[in-house]
Amino acid sequence: MEKIRVDTQQAYNQIREKIVTLALAPGAPVNAQSLADELGLGIRPVEEALKLLIHDDLVVVTPRHGLYASDVTLADLEQISEMRMTLEALSAQLAAQRATPDDLAVLDALYAAQKMTDATELFALDHKFHQAIAQAAHNKYLAQTLDRFFGLSQRLWYMALPRLDFLPAAVEEHLNLVAAIKKGEDGRAAQIMRHHVQNFYDKVRQILSD
Amino acid sequence: METNNLVLGIDTGGTYTDAVLLEYESRRVLAARKALTTRRNFAIGIEAVVEGIHLDDPAAIKMVSISTTLATNAIAEGKNKRAALFLIGYDPELIAKFKMAGRLGTPHYAYFDGGHDLYGREKSPLDLPAILTQVNKIKNEVDAIAISSYFSPLNPEHELRAYEAVSRVCDLPIVLGHQLSTKLGSVERATTAALNASLLAVLQQFVIAVRRAMERRQIDAPLMVVRGDGTLMSAEFAARTPVETIHSGPAASAIGGRFLSRLDKALVVDVGGTTTDIALIEDGQVTVSEDGATAGGYKTAVQAANLLSIALGGDSHLRQSAERKLIIGPERVVPLAYLAQEYPQVYGQLKTLSHRLSAQTTADWLEYWFLLREPGDEMLTPQQRKLVKLLRDGPQPLPAILKKLNLLHVGQLDAGDLWREEILGKAGLTPTDLLHVDGRHTPWNVEAAKLAADVFYKFLYRTPEELHEQVWAQMTETIVRAIVSFLTNRELPPPARPKDNDLGRWFFFNSLYDEDPHLESRLRLRYPIIGIGAPAGIILRQAAQLLGTDLILPDHHEVANAVGAVAGSVMVTAELLVYPLMSREGLEVLGYYVQDGDGRSQFDELDDALAYARQTSRKHALGAALQSGADNPQVVLAETADGLDTYRIRAKAIGNPRLTH
Repeated sequence: MEKIRVDTQQAYNQIREKIVTLALAPGAPVNAQSLADELGLGIRPVEEALKLLIHDDLVVVTPRHGLYASDVTLADLEQISEMRMTLEALSAQLAAQRATPDDLAVLDALYAAQKMTDATELFALDHKFHQAIAQAAHNKYLAQTLDRFFGLSQRLWYMALPRLDFLPAAVEEHLNLVAAIKKGEDGRAAQIMRHHVQNFYDKVRQILSD
Repeated sequence: METNNLVLGIDTGGTYTDAVLLEYESRRVLAARKALTTRRNFAIGIEAVVEGIHLDDPAAIKMVSISTTLATNAIAEGKNKRAALFLIGYDPELIAKFKMAGRLGTPHYAYFDGGHDLYGREKSPLDLPAILTQVNKIKNEVDAIAISSYFSPLNPEHELRAYEAVSRVCDLPIVLGHQLSTKLGSVERATTAALNASLLAVLQQFVIAVRRAMERRQIDAPLMVVRGDGTLMSAEFAARTPVETIHSGPAASAIGGRFLSRLDKALVVDVGGTTTDIALIEDGQVTVSEDGATAGGYKTAVQAANLLSIALGGDSHLRQSAERKLIIGPERVVPLAYLAQEYPQVYGQLKTLSHRLSAQTTADWLEYWFLLREPGDEMLTPQQRKLVKLLRDGPQPLPAILKKLNLLHVGQLDAGDLWREEILGKAGLTPTDLLHVDGRHTPWNVEAAKLAADVFYKFLYRTPEELHEQVWAQMTETIVRAIVSFLTNRELPPPARPKDNDLGRWFFFNSLYDEDPHLESRLRLRYPIIGIGAPAGIILRQAAQLLGTDLILPDHHEVANAVGAVAGSVMVTAELLVYPLMSREGLEVLGYYVQDGDGRSQFDELDDALAYARQTSRKHALGAALQSGADNPQVVLAETADGLDTYRIRAKAIGNPRLTH
């Protein structure tokens, strides 16, 4: 009858949060009933939410052993980084060509917020910043695709979190990126973004393989 | 026997949560259940009543519908103060000059450049950077953001642009004024948006709790919520527009009274524990107020039943003033008969009190404080901890508490937060206790009620007969006065023997007490009163007599509110505005706009614009009504001219709930 029930949405948000922040560890079994009890929700919204998370590749279903939080491996990291490097660069390039004054106001505000905040909130703002650039690219399929890959990389970030000291430097890269988009320098915007994303995965790869 | 369509209605009132299981077509009440409401968490009462209903086959239930005072309560508790309100194109000086800032529903409001004029033209450019700077500043201090732009019903462009931008920099829920009201009153629209924003989380949690209670009983049926005008909306719709649930409880009572009595014209009076609510049925419908609903003193643009609510009910606190006069309410307390039922030692305490009455004892000895629950995470002051520790041993009269804690005054107990958090409860003598004494309504401890009433008679130097008569007369007078005020839309001064020259007061007084030696005057209500609520039969009998009409108490009237929760129609309205496109100088009409929610179309001729608006509003209303679970909805179109060549086209799609999955 309606698009999505409020309790399903609530279950989805909370379980997704658990998976990406590793409270539900990669490879850990997922039990709908215990999640429902823990979250104070009914079993049905939890089951509906798990279906959505299977679709997001954050939960996997195996025929014999039921549901698991999906694993994250270095191989995944390589594949995700390949996709994101190319698509984020395209996103920045299109944004430099198409950004409206409203889009630029959003990027400015997000940059200002990043300068004011601490490391834990920084990641959420970084996500928003990349989303805002994808919006400024004015290609909804690109925005949707990027969001999905971003969701998958989030867990890599939480794994590396205790040793991520490079984020403030990344914020400075954002400043250059905004400047390039504002000036309409599409080639430069794409280049900064590619470098920015590559840098992130290099750091994470290094931390995870130590 | 073939099972007919069953529906479950739930009403969460301020005092009780009621549930009924109803056979929809035959209007037969199959089961009814009552539980005490826990205001801190409405889910507790709901789970209790749903657990208590006997069900042979949960699958036979085709709909669950619920009315709730949740929104009204949340506003009364100040939860609205956690929303930010962005006013685009509003004039701060005008708001200050007319002292309207206090009406906006939240202290977190801020002004920004932008907005449109009454022809939908941009008044000044939108200052998006300033809005986003404000978001960064306040995003951790509020729970939601409401945005209202000047003349947004004619042109919502600035609200939509602000929404796009704000939603990209923070995760807070955002509410837009034009989506809640197409009325042009800018302050009411802003207030409505702010209240709606602050209630989003409250209603979402409520819907989740109800669904969980349903699931525990294996009830898998659509969930509906009652609006303030008594119509139904889907739970998902309600979670987005919680502000529309203001007054949903009293509206449901009125609908339930009509449904059970089958009367097309009547006054519905619902005597609850906390309040008495008055509504009017005409042509089989609850009459709707021309003005928007008011909650917690805030005037909104939300449609609601025409209601009058007074703070008088079966559980109103009976006290004596310093001059030993009787005071009824407005505070609601737990009846002593109930307290003594729950805590048997109270009976003994009352017995001791009745034996050792002296000049020093006061009526305060009938005011009991007790622990409703153990404190959880709340931070308590040392004084509060002492109080909680004392009350762990059971309820205590207020003067005994003060004595044991070596205090002189109730203010020193520092109990404010303990009431708000529902850690402490208060009990006292109530009309419900007197009904126990009279033997007219005796669900709880009659002997305790008798002892307490005995003590009270002595304090007031009255005989039991005198006191009972005075309580009923005073309540009757208050209710009759409220009915007269409600129907005449005129204030009636408080009841006092009129010694002045006011003919109105003389007339009212004489009509009630018939004291004039020469003139007899009567009030006569032209239609019957439908009484609702457990004490209605006792308290309204005399009121109906004084108003020269019949009191009708339909079967199951004590749970008519819960019946009303399922008896309403599903309704969706779609409203479009048609207004002229003016030339730059504002002298010439170049064409007409049709403003359709977020979108706008342009026409050369008014007739074409109106035809398009009619067709579109009909289509929107019908589609949304079907989506909300209406069965074969019928659409009614209404058109009004707002002046200035502006037309409002409203399509109302209305139908019974669809009871097949």
